[in-house]
Amino acid sequence: MAEALVLDSEAVNALARASQRGVLEDRARAILSLAHDRRALVRVPTPVLGEVCRGPRFDAAINRLLNDSGVLVMDLTQPIAQRAGLLLAEARMSSANAVDAFVVATALEFDSALIATGDPRDIRRLAARHRSLAVFAI
Amino acid sequence: MLVHSYYGKNWTMTEPAAKLSISLPASLAKAVRKRVGARGLSGFFAQAVAHELEREKLGAFIAELNQLNGPPSKTALAAARRAWPKR
Repeated sequence: MAEALVLDSEAVNALARASQRGVLEDRARAILSLAHDRRALVRVPTPVLGEVCRGPRFDAAINRLLNDSGVLVMDLTQPIAQRAGLLLAEARMSSANAVDAFVVATALEFDSALIATGDPRDIRRLAARHRSLAVFAI
Repeated sequence: MLVHSYYGKNWTMTEPAAKLSISLPASLAKAVRKRVGARGLSGFFAQAVAHELEREKLGAFIAELNQLNGPPSKTALAAARRAWPKR
């Protein structure tokens, strides 16, 4: 059974820029440790990179997290993107929340998943119909 | 030619296959054959190895963060445990 911890942009920033993030980093590191204990996969949906990357001058910490820490980027496939659209429709949300929807749709690729997020309200709204998902506020 | 997929990691036709010869306890070999069949062995092992290597890297990364910042607080760990449903 594949279980995953899925990170949104706030969770990625908290882990990549740990020394600057205080309490956020503490909570992000706690959930990452738990994922390791549970042998869960840790994944970052590709669209999250659009929120956290700002060019080569600023991305060194993010690149390090994504290339050398056991945290992998999960590609946005057509089925995931279409599922994200369905989630937005079901939750009566607009495409302004598209990245949140991609995060939730990526989490649904696993048998069960916990989403670590800085935006628990919108993520919970999108994930509400899915019992395989849980949400952790960073 | 390998075409295996593993939650964000894909090994496709562009990557050549390497053949490995490994030895397993007979009971384990029997159990894995029963689980995935003879034709599914390569994919199963590729996933298992990828997961194990990934987990080792994650453990090293967490240890590095803990060395810099100390271990996560008990409060944060308790909150994390509460959020993640028991299996």
